[in-house]
Order: sequence, then structure tokens, then C-alpha cells
Amino acid sequence: MLPLLLLKTAQKHPVLVELKNGETYNGHMVQCDSWMNVHLREVICTSKDGDRFWRIPETYIRGNTIKYLRVPDEVIDKVKEEDYKRDEKRPAMARGRGRGRGPGGRGDGQSGGRGGAPGRGGRGRG
Amino acid sequence: MLFYSYFKTLVGKQVTVELKNDLAITGTLHSVDQYLNIKLNNVHVVNEQKYPHMMSVRNCFIRGSVVRYVQLPPGSVDVELLHDATRREARG
Amino acid sequence: MGTNVGLAPMVDSTISVITNDGRVIVGILRGYDQATNLILDECHERVYSSKTGVEQVVLGGLHIVRGDNIAVVGEVDDEIDQGLNLSATRAAPLSPVQH
Repeated sequence: MLPLLLLKTAQKHPVLVELKNGETYNGHMVQCDSWMNVHLREVICTSKDGDRFWRIPETYIRGNTIKYLRVPDEVIDKVKEEDYKRDEKRPAMARGRGRGRGPGGRGDGQSGGRGGAPGRGGRGRG
Repeated sequence: MLFYSYFKTLVGKQVTVELKNDLAITGTLHSVDQYLNIKLNNVHVVNEQKYPHMMSVRNCFIRGSVVRYVQLPPGSVDVELLHDATRREARG
Repeated sequence: MGTNVGLAPMVDSTISVITNDGRVIVGILRGYDQATNLILDECHERVYSSKTGVEQVVLGGLHIVRGDNIAVVGEVDDEIDQGLNLSATRAAPLSPVQH
């Protein structure tokens, strides 16, 4: 599993970020990118020695200043779930193309196309 | 790419890698990649009394960016070959 | 490229990471990338001290450790590890990496 994929999946979750200078930032991750830059809201910043605290409504951290991040345990399950869905989808789409006419044809026959098409479309976007 | 190719010729040899935190690790060179990250097998730390931090580690990966020196077995340095390779590299 | 230098063989096993700030973190490797960013699960830190034995601090949970903060990734041999008497091991913490 790729660290940046885990990070991306941790969006909208609470995270802890420790910077190379020892400061830590606790907050909700709004967004991150492939450079590990992160945008946090409702942040508590703690000084290196852990003796001073600041509440910050919003902060943006450049990825290369980060030492490590901590993300909630359940995020890894979420990644696996999405992986699974993607794996399931790929052969399904291939099948869809191959057999597409099959169920489609049947769908036309019994007005079952209704279920198939929007369902697949939805998954495709997700 | 020269040092990458060169290190690849040393695979299987005993080397000592000195890190930028003063730790020195001896082991069999298992592999190297284009970042000069190094994998060593059967490692032991030089001065294990002072540095017991890796006592349960037999095989390790060392990030190229933290390597200060790699001590090579003297016999395995073919200076002529290195000269040639260097000239070829310089010519492009 | 060609040579198998990756961390692939260590995935899902216990590893010991030495970071550039001199910490030793033990955890299960769940993933990595080209930049040596790591996903570490069930982490604890081994805090070395020359006055007392090694103190194990549970960090818990999932950590993403940035690659440029990593010096060494070691495969932990469980058998050797269980045989260690950490509480009797006295050593100064490792120095930070200085580039």
C-alpha cells in the first residue's frame, strides 16, 4: 500500500502531524496532495517540548517539513475497502464490455436495464 | 549511474557503511538501487557496546541519503576498470 | 531497477526504523514508496538511555513516516528480539543525522 494513498484516504479525519522542528499539529485534515502538503482545520499546535499550546483555526503545512503523520487506525481498512471495490470494478467493467450486450439485451427485454446502467455509472464515478 | 553500476559489481562482498549519524554497519552487500540505497545482509554494528540499537536486526535497508562512507574490500577495487568507466561517463 | 533493493520483502513484518533525529521506532511495515515514505502499524518507540534501561513507549496506531526522515530500516528477527534484555541495555540515544 502506498503511503500517499493512505494519506489521501485520511482526508476528513483527525490527524497528528509532527514537523522536523519538533512541533506537532493536531487537527482535521481538509486536504492533502502528492507532495504531502496538508491543509488542517481546528488545529492545536504544540511546541517542541510540549509545554506550550496554540489553537489555530486553519493551517497549511508544506510536505517537506513533516517528520511523520499519525492517522486513525480505521483509515487503513478504508483504503483496503476502496482497493477491493476498484479491483472488483475493473474486471466488472471488462466483463461489462464483453458481456455488456448480454445483460443489456436482457435488460431491454425485461426493462432490467434500469438497475444496471445507473448502478455501474455510480460506481464508475466513485 | 557510474556509482550505481560500480556498487552492483560489489554485490555479495563484505562492506562497512558509515552513516551520517556516526553509526557504522558491516554486512554483506545484498543490493543497491539508483538512489544508492543499500541493502545489507547478516549485519553487525561496529562498536555494538556503544550502539546496541540494532541488536535484533540481521538484514537492513540503508537510505542512500544518510551514507557518509562505504568501506570496500581493498582487493575488489579494479582501478583500471573504474578509470575507463569514468572516462566513458565523462565522454557521455 | 533489476536489483531487488526494495522494501517489498519486509511488508507485513516487524521492522525497526532509525530516524534522522535518532529515534528507534519498531512497528509493522504496511507499505512504502519510492521516496522511502513508510506506513508503520502498531508502533512503539524504544527510548535508549545511558542511565536507565530501554524504555518502550507505545505510539500506537498508524503512522506515515516521511522518507527524508529515515536512515535505516531493519528487519527484526523476532527470535533474537525476544531474547534481548532491553531493561538491562544501557546506551546513549543515537545522534541525529547531520548532512
